[in-house]
Amino acid sequence: MAETLTSLTLVQPCITQSSLQTTKVEFSSLSKSVRQCSSSRFHKIEGGRRRSLVRAKALPDWPLMAVMVEHAEGQRDLITHKSIWHLSDQAIKNVYTFYIMFTVWGCCFFGSTKDPFYDSEGYRGDGGDGTGHWIYEKQEDIEESARAELWREELIEEIEQKVGGLRELEEAGKK
Amino acid sequence: MAALSPKPITPCLTLPPSTPSLQSTTLSFSTRRTASLSIPNAKKKNPWLDPFDQGDDPEMEYGQLFSDGKQDEDPRPPDNPGNPYGFLKFPQGYAVEVASLGLKIRGDVRRCCCVVSGGVYDNLLFFPAIQMIKDRYPGVQVDVLTTARGKQTYEINKNVRFADVYDVDDPFPEPAEYTDIIGQLKNRYYDMILSTKLAGIGHGAFLFMSSARDVVSYVYPNVNAAGAGLFLSETFTPATTNLAEGGYHMYREMIDWLGRPFRSVPRQALPPLKVSISRKVKEVVEAKYTSAGAVKGRYIVIHGIKSDSKASMQSKGDPDSLLPIEIWDDIASAISGLTPLFVIPHEKERENVEYVVGDDASIVFITTPGQLAALINDSAGVICTNTAAVQLANAREKPSITLFCSEDKAKVFVPNADEKKCAVISSKTGKLVDIDVEAVKTAVQIFSLPLAIA
Repeated sequence: MAETLTSLTLVQPCITQSSLQTTKVEFSSLSKSVRQCSSSRFHKIEGGRRRSLVRAKALPDWPLMAVMVEHAEGQRDLITHKSIWHLSDQAIKNVYTFYIMFTVWGCCFFGSTKDPFYDSEGYRGDGGDGTGHWIYEKQEDIEESARAELWREELIEEIEQKVGGLRELEEAGKK
Repeated sequence: MAALSPKPITPCLTLPPSTPSLQSTTLSFSTRRTASLSIPNAKKKNPWLDPFDQGDDPEMEYGQLFSDGKQDEDPRPPDNPGNPYGFLKFPQGYAVEVASLGLKIRGDVRRCCCVVSGGVYDNLLFFPAIQMIKDRYPGVQVDVLTTARGKQTYEINKNVRFADVYDVDDPFPEPAEYTDIIGQLKNRYYDMILSTKLAGIGHGAFLFMSSARDVVSYVYPNVNAAGAGLFLSETFTPATTNLAEGGYHMYREMIDWLGRPFRSVPRQALPPLKVSISRKVKEVVEAKYTSAGAVKGRYIVIHGIKSDSKASMQSKGDPDSLLPIEIWDDIASAISGLTPLFVIPHEKERENVEYVVGDDASIVFITTPGQLAALINDSAGVICTNTAAVQLANAREKPSITLFCSEDKAKVFVPNADEKKCAVISSKTGKLVDIDVEAVKTAVQIFSLPLAIA
């Protein structure tokens, strides 16, 4: 196996136009183009056999496919079409990153759908104090109403004093 | 040279002599002014606010509407019960569009914000000013912006609507807090904002950003005031950088301005300091002193025990105003027939008091001015140093003995002591610790005398 591999030749520049759709339909044209450009590049190997490897790119930087042509004298070419995924380190990292992010997001999202807190009345309720208004300054309003109450108390006291004074005056006048 | 002419004094001398207390203050004020004339801080008009403001036009004739007298208490248009339309409730011909003209012509103040710097004492002494604003502008809503300690004082003020906490003395406020409070001030659409913090350009800008119509503030009496006038429509320059040294009348410049006569409105007299105590606080405090072994009306409040607590309610103008518990014990021993009730500002003082006075001492832990006022209100009298207790006792008209570190401080903080049932005893040496305890002990008899009669 190692022997075969070492004798393979890359013929990359000839098939840059090929893409993922290099399926059986296009295969004839592909092999044709391989044949056309490979004539100068084929090695002569002992045993009268020439081999060549074509590595096609599915995406511009994504080595995807290898075509191996075994050429023997007087015979038809033996073409082996291999589809191999070669991912670069960066691409692998990207895949794993995406996988992890998706997992974490999934845990958060699907975990939170079952959270008793988010389903509770405290979080999902209408808020406010039941009057239909959102009250943000509750404490302030309590203090304010306490002071208003104080003011009213004082006023009542004053009025009572005045009334008392008036009554005394009246009584004094009657006598 | 115009600034050096004695012109600014005349309005003070033409004051109607309403009450003796006010007269004495204005006299002292005018002498202060004379003294301060040598300082190049004489008041001048701020040309930045309105370059075309030439002052009042003497030939201008104002009509009756919105120009004379004080503002109405309720600016709401009168109801028209005969109107078939629910939304047009005011009578025909009532021009809603000009209803706010009073704000411009007469200078009405519907919403006023007071930014008070300092703690309990300074805020307590600001009460008369608030009452004065209420009297001068009927129907005004007064809000207060002050420190956390100072805010507690407004528990005993009925004239205030909102009291918000913001420390104006903090030189580096948190940006979030700063912007938040500016947003709140803007949202409330104040007509007037008063500040008793000495303003520099920073504080001036802070007040200016509230978008109030009248921005009124004290400014520094030194170079720090540079640029503050750009943002302020009225400035007051105190004699010293410490406003609290002015004692009871520490806000005299501001009060003088607030009560200024305007067209047909005469000069507003300064009301006395008054506090009102709510029933709830009274109940709480009654439970407190009852558990400490005191009976209502049969105890004497002792306030001013030496402590490093923030709650001792001193004035910044009189730092030497606390006595060690040993001296208090000595004084309290002269009280007969009544229970001396020691007010401690922090629980850690309880041990000391118990150690010195004895385990059967009546001790009550009080930090807020509201509770102190309620305590004083139920007492037979007060013995205290120069803390907020003096002013509270005077406000509730309780007999009190006040110990001062010097004659000057006594005069400044309790201006007319004899009228207020307040016996003032001041130290001869200028240090409070050297106070004549025997004199205090003789003075204490004023509490027991009426009891002997009764």
